Amino acid sequence: MNRRVYLDHNASTPVHPEVLQAMLPYFSELFGNPSSVHGFGREARDGMDTARQQIAGFLKVSKDEIVFTSGGTESDNLGIKGLAAALGSGHIITSQIEHHAVLRTVQTLEEQGFTATYLPVDAYGMVNPDDLRKALRADTILVSLMGANSEVGTLQPIREIGRITREAGVPFHVDGVQTFGKVPIDVDASGIDLLSFSGHKIYGPKGVAGLFIRKGTKMASIQHGGEHERRRRAGTENVAGIVGLGKAVEIRSRDMAVEGARLTALRDRLWEGVRAGVAEVRLNGHPTERLPGTCNLCFRNIESESIVLGLDLKGIGVSAGSACTSGNVEPSYVLVAMGLPLDWAMGSVRCSLGRGTTAEDIEYVIESVVPLVAKLKTQSPVAGSLPVVGSSPAVGSSKV
Amino acid sequence: MRYSDTLIDHFRNPRNSGMMREPDGVGEGEYAQCMDLARFYLRVRDGRVEEARFQAYGCGPTLAACSAGTEVAAGTALEALAEIEEGRIEAAVGGLPPERRHAAEVVALALRAAARDAMARRGVH
Repeated sequence: MNRRVYLDHNASTPVHPEVLQAMLPYFSELFGNPSSVHGFGREARDGMDTARQQIAGFLKVSKDEIVFTSGGTESDNLGIKGLAAALGSGHIITSQIEHHAVLRTVQTLEEQGFTATYLPVDAYGMVNPDDLRKALRADTILVSLMGANSEVGTLQPIREIGRITREAGVPFHVDGVQTFGKVPIDVDASGIDLLSFSGHKIYGPKGVAGLFIRKGTKMASIQHGGEHERRRRAGTENVAGIVGLGKAVEIRSRDMAVEGARLTALRDRLWEGVRAGVAEVRLNGHPTERLPGTCNLCFRNIESESIVLGLDLKGIGVSAGSACTSGNVEPSYVLVAMGLPLDWAMGSVRCSLGRGTTAEDIEYVIESVVPLVAKLKTQSPVAGSLPVVGSSPAVGSSKV
Repeated sequence: MRYSDTLIDHFRNPRNSGMMREPDGVGEGEYAQCMDLARFYLRVRDGRVEEARFQAYGCGPTLAACSAGTEVAAGTALEALAEIEEGRIEAAVGGLPPERRHAAEVVALALRAAARDAMARRGVH
C-alpha cells in the first residue's frame, strides 16, 4: 500500500478533530432553529453567537459586522453584488487573476451596465499599486482584490492598496478565502471594508463561510426571505457549520504563527528538492511574499495532468494548473496573466501543504516527482532532440 | 476521474516508449483543442508492423493509449493500420471516460499517419 500524502490544502482541508467535537452536539441535542424564541432555539443561537464572537475577536471587529454565508463564492457575490446593488451604477476595479467567484460576478455586473477594469499582474502574480491608482475614476464604486492567489500563493500588497482606496474614498473588498487564518489580516490597518472568508480552507467544515462588512458600508441584500443575519442574508443559518467555523478560527488564532513558519520551511524544502533533481522546473509565484504552504511548480514540456495522475498512483494528491475538461485544455489564466510561456504553463502543478504535512511526506514527494518527471520526459516528443541521428524522416501528420 | 486497470497499467508501465532509429514509417496525430500530440515510429517487415514505438505529450490517458497503440499496431498489416479506428484503441485501454475519448482519437490519427507514411515510402498507395 502506497503512503498517502495530501498536498491540496488550498482546495480543501480535513476538519480539525476539535472542530468536529464542537460541531457534533449541534446535529443532535442542540438542533433548534436559532430564530426560534424557545429554549431549543436559544441554545442554537448561543452557539452561533459564540462563533460570531470568535471570528470578530480574531479580526478585531464588532460581531455585528460578521455575516455568515454558505461558502466563499457566496461571500464574494454578496460583497460585490450587494454593494453594487446599493449604489446602482459605477466602475469596479479588480484583477485578472481573481477567483472565478469574483471575476464572473464582476462580469455579470458588466452585463448589467456597470463598468470594470481588470488590473494586470507582474511575473510573480502581484498587482502594482500604481496601476490601481491610475485605474481609479470618479465613478469607481469598488476595488476587489484577493489577499492571495489560490494557485500560486502570491500575497497582494493589501495594506498599500487599502491606503490608496481609503484616500480615494472607495470601498475595498478583499477575497480573503486563501489568507484568512493563514497569515495575519488587519482590516483596519489595511482599509478593508469587506472581507470574504471560508471555513473549509482552515480545517473547518465545507458549506460555511462569512463576510465582514464594515459598519457604514452601503450594502443591499441579494438573497431575500427572512430577517436572518440582520437582514443582510436571508435563510436559516447552518448552525453546526458556523460553530465549526468559529472553533476553526479559534484554533487558527492559536496555531497560525507556528504553523506558518513550519509550512514555509517545508514548502521551501520541497522546491529545493525538486529543483535539485529536475532540469527544467520553475517555481511560480513570489519567492517570499507567498502563502506559507503553497508551492506551484511548472515542468517544461510535460502536461500537468500526466504528473497529477503519476503522483496520484503514488498516493500523492496535488492539483493540475491546466485541467482537461471535455477534451479541451487551457493553461491556467493566472499563469498566462503572469506571462508564462505555454510550454511551461501547460505543465503546472500546485502543491499546497497543511497541518498534517510532515518532513517525511515532503521527502517522499520529492523522491516520487523526480523519477516521474524523468520518465514522462523520455516519452515526450517535444522534450528532447528529434528524431535520432540517421533517420530524419519526414513525419506524416494529422490534426483534429 | 476513474480509469480502467488496463489504462493505469499502461500509464505505469508504458510499452515501447521512446524514439526508434531509422524507422520505416513515422506519423503524428495532434488534438489541437488540448494540444495533445502522439508520434509513432514503425518498423515494417513484409507489409506488417514488426515493431511500433511512441512519443507523446498529453494527459495520462493519452500516454496510456499510445502505449496500448503500439501493441495494437504490432503484427497489423499496414493497409489495416492505415484504416484503424479509435474504437480499437479505446478497447485496448479498457475504455475511456467520455471526457478523455480524445486520447484514442489522437492515437488512431497518429497510427494511420504512420502507416500511410510507411506505405508511401514503400511505393504503396
